[in-house]
Amino acid sequence: MMLPIVVCMALLSGCTEKEKFIVYGPPQNEEEVEAVLKEEKFVERTTVIQYDDKMLVAVQFKPWDKWKKAKLEKKLQKKFDEKYPNKDVFVSADYKIFYEANKIKKDQLEDNKLTDKISELKKLAQEET
Amino acid sequence: MEKEQYQQLEQSVTPKPPYFKNAAKAFFVGGIICTIGQAVSLFYIIFFDFTEATAGNPTVSTMVFFAMILTGFGLYKRIGQFGGAGSAVPVTGFGNAVISAAIEHKSEGLVLGVGGNLFKLAGSVVLFGVVSAFFVALIKYILVTLGVVSW
Repeated sequence: MMLPIVVCMALLSGCTEKEKFIVYGPPQNEEEVEAVLKEEKFVERTTVIQYDDKMLVAVQFKPWDKWKKAKLEKKLQKKFDEKYPNKDVFVSADYKIFYEANKIKKDQLEDNKLTDKISELKKLAQEET
Repeated sequence: MEKEQYQQLEQSVTPKPPYFKNAAKAFFVGGIICTIGQAVSLFYIIFFDFTEATAGNPTVSTMVFFAMILTGFGLYKRIGQFGGAGSAVPVTGFGNAVISAAIEHKSEGLVLGVGGNLFKLAGSVVLFGVVSAFFVALIKYILVTLGVVSW
């Protein structure tokens, strides 16, 4: 009895339009960054965190594009590096990074904590074991 | 009765295996096991410091552990009977193969029975896995050295 209702709710909850492109941090060039990301068709959702002269770009690709994740990640990284040569940009398509970036936005982390957290995330993303 | 005649008779008598039904069952059972695996993987990503790339190792060991417990309680064989290849192909089949061999040979003693036969079925999985991984890595290394592909 309960199961069909639960399944229906689960399916319908996907219909609500979520905020797909989020830029967090001191307002600088939010719209520009958003436009850069929206240009690419393979990007589904992103959370960008800006602080000092650094930027953490957490992206989630569309399902079929996940096969080429490493390649697209590199492409995006290159694009950002060219666009913002004087900024330290870090692009990651990993779900962990995306999840943590959203958590940072939700918790409104302080600046000094933010730097620690992000350097920690960068280290995590580069781990290969 | 000739040999051919017998074969004809045998074929007419044997019931046709329901291939499509079996495939569908295997598909759903395997899919459910993989969904549980995905949930475990997400659990490790969200609550521990694992990324998508590194969450695979703890997920595999957890799934094998689950299968081992289910085998010990005698529940995995029911899943196996229903799902067929769907329960054997995911990594949980490995846990089942290890523990079922251990249970089977328990009466022969702990060292020579359990210890000697623990990898009776699963040993081939480990062996061929390691050997094929070696050859795939070798081929890839050669291709990278020649400059055909990159890592």
